[in-house]
Amino acid sequence: MRKQASVVITVIFFLSLTFAFYQISSSYNYMENKYDYTNPINESSANESVPQHYIKDTKNETGAINVVTAIVVEYRGFDTLGEVTVLFTAATGVGFLLYNLYSRKKNKREANLILREGSKIVLPFALLTGAYIFIHGHLTPGGGFPGGSVIASGFLLMMLSYPKFFMNEKRLSVLESLAGITFVLIGLFGLIFATYFLQNYLNLGNVGYLISAGIIPLIYIAVGFKVGSELASVIQNLKEVQE
Amino acid sequence: MVVHAVLLIAIPLLSAFLIPLIRKISKWFTISILTLNSIFSILVLFEVYNKGMIYEIIAFSPPVGIYLAIDNLSALLALIINVFGAINFVSTLKEKSFKFHMLYLLAIAGSTGIVITGDIFNMFVFFEITAVASYALVASKKSEKAVEGAIKYMILGSLGSTFILMGIALIYSQMKSLNIYDIANRISMMNENIKWISFAFLLTGIGVEAELFPLNGWVPDVYEGASSGIASLLSFGPSKAAIYAIARLLIVIFPSMHTYEIALWIGVATLLMGEIAAFMQTDAKRMLAYSSIGQMGLILIAFSLVSQGIRYSIPASFFLIVSHASAKSSLFLLSHKNKMGSALTKYGGITAVLSLIGMPPLAGFWGKWYLFLGAASEKLWLVIILIFFSGIIEAAYFARYLHRSIGEEKMEASYAYPMAVLSTFSLAFGLLPFIYKMANMHLLGGV
Amino acid sequence: MNGVIMASYFTVASLLSIGLYGVMTKRNLMKIFISLSIMDTGVNLMLITIGYLPGGTAPIENANFAKYVDPLPQALVLTAIVIGVSVTALALVLLIKYHSKKGTLEYKGGMKW
Repeated sequence: MRKQASVVITVIFFLSLTFAFYQISSSYNYMENKYDYTNPINESSANESVPQHYIKDTKNETGAINVVTAIVVEYRGFDTLGEVTVLFTAATGVGFLLYNLYSRKKNKREANLILREGSKIVLPFALLTGAYIFIHGHLTPGGGFPGGSVIASGFLLMMLSYPKFFMNEKRLSVLESLAGITFVLIGLFGLIFATYFLQNYLNLGNVGYLISAGIIPLIYIAVGFKVGSELASVIQNLKEVQE
Repeated sequence: MVVHAVLLIAIPLLSAFLIPLIRKISKWFTISILTLNSIFSILVLFEVYNKGMIYEIIAFSPPVGIYLAIDNLSALLALIINVFGAINFVSTLKEKSFKFHMLYLLAIAGSTGIVITGDIFNMFVFFEITAVASYALVASKKSEKAVEGAIKYMILGSLGSTFILMGIALIYSQMKSLNIYDIANRISMMNENIKWISFAFLLTGIGVEAELFPLNGWVPDVYEGASSGIASLLSFGPSKAAIYAIARLLIVIFPSMHTYEIALWIGVATLLMGEIAAFMQTDAKRMLAYSSIGQMGLILIAFSLVSQGIRYSIPASFFLIVSHASAKSSLFLLSHKNKMGSALTKYGGITAVLSLIGMPPLAGFWGKWYLFLGAASEKLWLVIILIFFSGIIEAAYFARYLHRSIGEEKMEASYAYPMAVLSTFSLAFGLLPFIYKMANMHLLGGV
Repeated sequence: MNGVIMASYFTVASLLSIGLYGVMTKRNLMKIFISLSIMDTGVNLMLITIGYLPGGTAPIENANFAKYVDPLPQALVLTAIVIGVSVTALALVLLIKYHSKKGTLEYKGGMKW
């Protein structure tokens, strides 16, 4: 009975999705006039759609070449603050709930020679690549989140190859906190030095070079550190759990 | 003085990030931040009262950027969430872990964000903050039931957030915009079929958090499993924010006779299911949980009367929200021991129950009064009869509840005082006349 | 209709349906959360497909191209992925707690009302 009901619901769901996709697939070009937006504050209509605005004006307004980065950090920076907070909440919850499930026994099997020696060679490159990705977020594909994940994966490699490898929990959480505070403070300085929260108040610089785009690289560096340390602490917490 | 509404969210986030650095004093720090935020939400409320709807642009002017759009109802809800959050925190003072304080602050910040943001994707992000913090808080009690409830909540909650995201994606495919008011302005150009499918997805997704009818399987388990302070937090925070999100969806984005009718009947189903299930419960916490479901149905009915009875619909929903938030959170605190020994707890418990049943002059009475007026102006006689019928059931099981919980046993002061203060709000909001003017002035940004 | 878009939408609908079916029928909590992750992936692909423009390139300033895909869904997907990761991490922890209390990941209770 339960199975039949599930099959029926799934089929209805599939058909409604297919129907919806059939209807939208004829209208994909965001350049068309019908998508022109209206400003909700003064109700004036603009002559462009929202994505068109991003493609056209990102370079002038934010100084970033990578449009996606400009959206993530500048235009919709508040979402990113929320997103960082979701990850932070989850990391906090993981530590909070696992608190009394940790095992202090450390009799895990050593990894083999190739993994141990190989990870020594790979780790610096992983850290370097991660740092490169988040520092160059406004110029090349990537940014704080991918960069942070690459760094965390470097530490995961170390944990796999050396069962005794252990990162100082307290230092990780201090790093995490400082990065988060930096992000919010950069936003609050926007209220003080400019008009709005998270508004860019620094010089846009020489567009296309490393030091440009105002607060975007700063925020992405903070996000990179934060994501790296958070993911590393989540992985470590899960690893420490009693079998 | 310019009040920056964004601080309502930025300050709790900043302090949640700061707490790991000052673990020793995290409890007092959290209390002071919650107090500061409550004062701040009062300032925002006065600003809205003087100016009507207020906006706060973040980074770029919308719809290219994000903005906060605060109308009267959302200012009042932000006030309720922050003030009640500060009062309710007293009941959780026994918790020593600084991580608990961080999660509490994040849950408050997330629910505030849901009600004040003017961007639909931003709303989704705040939903996730609130949800993730609540999963962890519910599971923090070391009992089997708590973990089971949290897992159930998490399964339905994640499914709900997937549905919200699908709805947002479908809307974006048609409008190329994520701003709620921009979408509302241009909704007529949207393909009719996609409009309906995305409405269904969004209603399903938000309905999980708002405890609406077919999706509320998690509610009794979570409220039963969670500790009293957290059950109280869930009853005034995330669920109220979610029902307000449904109001924005219903009244601002998809205003049409059909959507109102759908919401009306979902509300009626939720109401009847909640009240009848509550009547059959023997456990006090489960009974309160089902009763919450019923009240959420009532609030949704109030919102759905907006087309004809707009003069009554918004005040009704507002008073019902206040009454439910204050009375139910107070009763959840009472359910910690479930014995009303001292005079203080007796006062708190009886006021709360009377407000929920709808006795004048408490806030619950005004809620039901305007609800009846609104339903009468739409000539929905069947709905009136059903609401009346459910009110009788409600009175019956609350009478039984009061009868059982009068006793000699004393509650700790850390539960008794916040409980009394919380139920005083339903008395105070019932007596203050300016609230009505406030609730009726600018309805959700000039609908 | 463009073939790439059609194939992509078909994949999205399949992924979402498979995930939903798994959530509704499976009894093992781990499998339920795997199904939820499958649904997450489906939604992410849906957002990307909505932003796709035939012949468009990645939205990074490039003199050789005139047409770019819609950049906004890509930013949204970034957010959605991170949220999915967070929820999965917390779900794993809850499963560990559940297992330590009950000794099994099978869920027997059902959704009782």
